[in-house]
Amino acid sequence: MHHRSANINLFLCVLAIGLLAVGTLQAAQPERRVFENDFLKLTVNPRTAQQMAAFYEGRGFPAEAILLTRTACFFTIGIHNKSRDILWLETANWRFQTASGPLKRVTREEWQQRWQRIGLALPHQSTFRWTLLPAELDFQADEHEGGNITLSRTDKPFSLHASFATGRDKQGPRIDVRIADLRCGEDQS
Amino acid sequence: MKKFLIGMLMFVCSQTLSAADISLPKGVIAITPRLAPPLQLQNMDGEQFDLRRAGDQWAFVHFWASWCGPCRREMPTIEILVKAFADKPLTFAIINTAESDDTVFSFLASVAPEINSLMDYDGLVTEAWQPRGLPSTYLVDPQGMIRYVVIGGQAWHSREYQDFLRQLVGEPG
Repeated sequence: MHHRSANINLFLCVLAIGLLAVGTLQAAQPERRVFENDFLKLTVNPRTAQQMAAFYEGRGFPAEAILLTRTACFFTIGIHNKSRDILWLETANWRFQTASGPLKRVTREEWQQRWQRIGLALPHQSTFRWTLLPAELDFQADEHEGGNITLSRTDKPFSLHASFATGRDKQGPRIDVRIADLRCGEDQS
Repeated sequence: MKKFLIGMLMFVCSQTLSAADISLPKGVIAITPRLAPPLQLQNMDGEQFDLRRAGDQWAFVHFWASWCGPCRREMPTIEILVKAFADKPLTFAIINTAESDDTVFSFLASVAPEINSLMDYDGLVTEAWQPRGLPSTYLVDPQGMIRYVVIGGQAWHSREYQDFLRQLVGEPG
């Protein structure tokens, strides 16, 4: 149990650590937000465009792909199912909302279309996919997983409402998470 | 014919019982058996590996990438496991997802120099297996069926996991 907690923390930190190593971290680390109750721990960690660019540049992504990553707002999400039952991640049930309306999520399929349009090499497409949060996953008891979620870039604050079904047949009590005043990570100029 | 059928029945029963009776360490989940997807890749020395030719034994199928934090922590424990099971009927397929030779060589040189990873250069084998995340481990029975999924990074060098694997492959501790 303890070593797996350490594992997810390590996973959530790995992007920032990698960026520090290549010496390209230019912005202050944006504020990490945490929701936690007896059944779920959800962490939301904003990443700046420069952080993400450095991560993918370090893995050989071409400039054209890096430019596309800069159009999106990245958050590294960590999820720990603290319960003894199944917790269902379904990002289709996640809503990001600004004061003026919903904020669009950039889905895996949309990224796939972008990569195919610019002819991104398959290994890079694969790496990008595996750094994204799964769209759906039946979290087992005590399971930790993480990954990035991507939104249209905005300078406005917004909220997250994430709803999780529970139980093998999804008939258990739902867990609703609300996190207000989220912001995209901004590079320092 | 009758002897053959009885023999087959006993073999299937022994496999089912041996898998069902084993107590599972943390993170190991018994699943409804399903056929393992194809797994044909080259290792870092360019040698071909095919899971179907692994022979009549269990297989430890593990997916990893150098950018995944838990993988860095887990890989040295897998290196110890590989050494401990060198003479046991367990096949290891340790698969890097979509990274270059240079990246894999330098990563393994620093964390687990004895590991010879299979190279899924384009990530398509990983895509076919659809692990829950990286790292992920599957335990495949001698009939080519996935019987267990292991969630996240584990301490494979620990007695708990090694005892579990010894029981699985039918070797005394």
